[in-house]
Amino acid sequence: MKNLYILVLSALILGYTTAYAQMPNDAIYMPKGVVCVGTMYTHSSWKEYWENTLKRENLNIGTHTTQSVMVMPAIGITNRFNVILSLPYVWTKTSAGNLMGQKGFQDLGGWLKVKAVDWKGFSLNGLVGISLPVSKYVPDFLPMSIGLQCRTASGRVLANYTHPKTGIYVTAHGTYMWRSNISVDRDAYQADDKVYNTNEVRVPNAYDMGARVGILKKQWQTEIWAERNSCVNGDNIRRNDMPFPTNNMQATMVGWYGKFQPKALGVNARIGYVTNGLNMGQSTSYTVGVLYMFGVKK
Amino acid sequence: MKPYSTFIKYSTALLTLAVIVIACNKDLEEPQRVGYTPVAVDEKAGTWKTYVLASSDEIEVAAPLAVTSSEYTAELSALKGLASNLSQEQKEAVVYWGAGAAYRWNEIARELCARYNIPPASNAEGKYPLPDAANPLADPKFPFANPPYASRALAYLSVAQYDALVSAWHYKYKYKRSAPSKVDTSIPVALPVSALPAYPSEDAVVAAASVTILKAMFPGEVPYLDAKMKEHLASRQWAGMNVTSDLTAGTSLGNAVAAKVMGKARNDGMGASNNQTLVAAMIESAKTRGIKDPWISQEAPLRPPMLPNFGAVQTWNFDKATMVKIRPAIPYVVGSAEWQKDMDELKQIQNKQTREQARIANYWADGAGSYTPPGHWHRAAANAAHEARFSEVRMARTLALVGTAEMDAGIACWDAKYFYYTPRPQQFGLKTSVGLPNFPSYTSGHSTFSAAAATVLGYLFPEQAAKFDAQALEASVSRIYGLIHYRVDCEMGLKHGEVIGEYAIARGKADGSGL
Repeated sequence: MKNLYILVLSALILGYTTAYAQMPNDAIYMPKGVVCVGTMYTHSSWKEYWENTLKRENLNIGTHTTQSVMVMPAIGITNRFNVILSLPYVWTKTSAGNLMGQKGFQDLGGWLKVKAVDWKGFSLNGLVGISLPVSKYVPDFLPMSIGLQCRTASGRVLANYTHPKTGIYVTAHGTYMWRSNISVDRDAYQADDKVYNTNEVRVPNAYDMGARVGILKKQWQTEIWAERNSCVNGDNIRRNDMPFPTNNMQATMVGWYGKFQPKALGVNARIGYVTNGLNMGQSTSYTVGVLYMFGVKK
Repeated sequence: MKPYSTFIKYSTALLTLAVIVIACNKDLEEPQRVGYTPVAVDEKAGTWKTYVLASSDEIEVAAPLAVTSSEYTAELSALKGLASNLSQEQKEAVVYWGAGAAYRWNEIARELCARYNIPPASNAEGKYPLPDAANPLADPKFPFANPPYASRALAYLSVAQYDALVSAWHYKYKYKRSAPSKVDTSIPVALPVSALPAYPSEDAVVAAASVTILKAMFPGEVPYLDAKMKEHLASRQWAGMNVTSDLTAGTSLGNAVAAKVMGKARNDGMGASNNQTLVAAMIESAKTRGIKDPWISQEAPLRPPMLPNFGAVQTWNFDKATMVKIRPAIPYVVGSAEWQKDMDELKQIQNKQTREQARIANYWADGAGSYTPPGHWHRAAANAAHEARFSEVRMARTLALVGTAEMDAGIACWDAKYFYYTPRPQQFGLKTSVGLPNFPSYTSGHSTFSAAAATVLGYLFPEQAAKFDAQALEASVSRIYGLIHYRVDCEMGLKHGEVIGEYAIARGKADGSGL
């Protein structure tokens, strides 16, 4: 009952699970005055999930599916300073049971990305991100909710080495994300075995780590990646209960990413698979996108 | 490199700002409840009519030692030591329990209801194992504190508190032993001291009565409840409010009264409430009444209906003949024009549920993992009584009147549900935005619980009657917005609940309190 989280992580944390080029998780920069707009469709589904540590299926959910379309412009302010924005529209459904699917615009995200050190193929990059909900979607009807309603602020350090001749690269990053408390429609709820008599819910902060290996050429890119996303604390889903925004959600994911962009127009694709987790679904996801690059007159 | 170190500086500043403005403050603002001097001490409460005790002196409480005795003097000096130099933790315990004994134990009981309110998972054989009272912490945990269970647990809790306090008030004014700080003014007190005699301690009475009931209702929580009671009693000494003999006498009285109340509980029919062998005959009977499409569980695997025989449990404020007499009339049958109209309304909401409809559905959902609708209304009652600065015994009377009305509402509603055995809208393809309860549709439990509670609360707090009625109406319609009830379920449930509430009011008017 909780896969939503794959989605939540992907959009709340902006690019956690979406490893596109000119993304918050690579060392690629749009040159000054160039904008690349990616429009991506993502399909993520799970049949089994981790209820606390218990891996199970749920016949009253069947397969849970989250889909989204996200528009994501990356803007070259300078050759070493980019701004990346994103806004996803998300919808959820299940193949069994009677939980009503939810849909809507989720959270508007923005990253500032700076290449701080650039030395013989090695670069060190700093990123600062924020995200803000743009609609009043319900955050605690999990796993059907499309997001958690948190406002977030993230700091990320990303290191990359690209072999200048072959284009072979290695990237590693680490992120810490602060998440705001949220308000829910009810004025009492249970978390940590305690009833809180308020509509305010504490959502745990989160961190992630990622590593990628690939080849980057002028017109194409291919990469394999692994990521670990985790809350820093939180409670667990109780036996046979629904998930809740206070849950300590964790996932380890592996996947592949590729891009082909001969000219202004390009395409990208990504697949991801959760190998291990806590309080969330074991999802398989794929993304396909169209990239369009254009110059902006100064 | 220079320009980029500038960028880094700005980025760091921006991140710091973003964290501070956007996400940093993790504190939760929960309303804090503190102690007060009650508007009246209700010195005649020892004469109020009890629920289970034959009279307020049915349980014997021995006369206390005279305040002039050397033993009492020794107790006073011990108290003086305990009430001095409090640690921060002790001070917090004093404030917490000082908000009110019945108030806190009601809150604790609601928390236990929430913790245990999860339906059992199906096992590998596709069956739903029954919770086992003898092994309460195994999976599935005992109890499954669903709405009927919660209504009953909270009713017996409130009745035990009330009967024990009426008895305590009788002895308080029989023996008239003053509060320790009135005997010895040098005793430091941390809470308001009223004119109420201190022996036996009302806090000890409530703690002991509550723990006795809650241990029976939540047998997996014995260590937790023992620890809470220990802290509660100790807090009365840290606050300088009770000498040891006040507490000891109160504990004995509370235990004895609650044992009598549990004696009644054990024979009220709850043990047979989940008798699934009755279901086939119930369905056949419903068919003879014209129900062509009886309810079918919408869960996979099919889950047996929740407590099909809860309607046979003993009621508080009216007898079984009355329950049959006030049972709601048969609802619109599937396929009729009226049924179709209700169904069309639901379909329209499913297509275009507004955010406000979702909010109302969510606010009142009180589903799995919550303290259930009876818990919701106990909370409303406890808060209203706290804000009105009711004495301990009047607080307990409030909760007992509301609590018995809620249990009666649960019993009578369950009786109607299994008498008619009608299908949920989900049986005809609708989804839900709140989760679907696993029992027949008509009448709406939320509507019945809410109208019963709001009716009683309107009698207890007349100036707030309109507010409570509006809340009950919203709770009722929330089940339409959540797509799990037809309008007729809700409207008839509201009417039924109101009648049920009136029986509790009649009891309240005749209990000798003059309130």
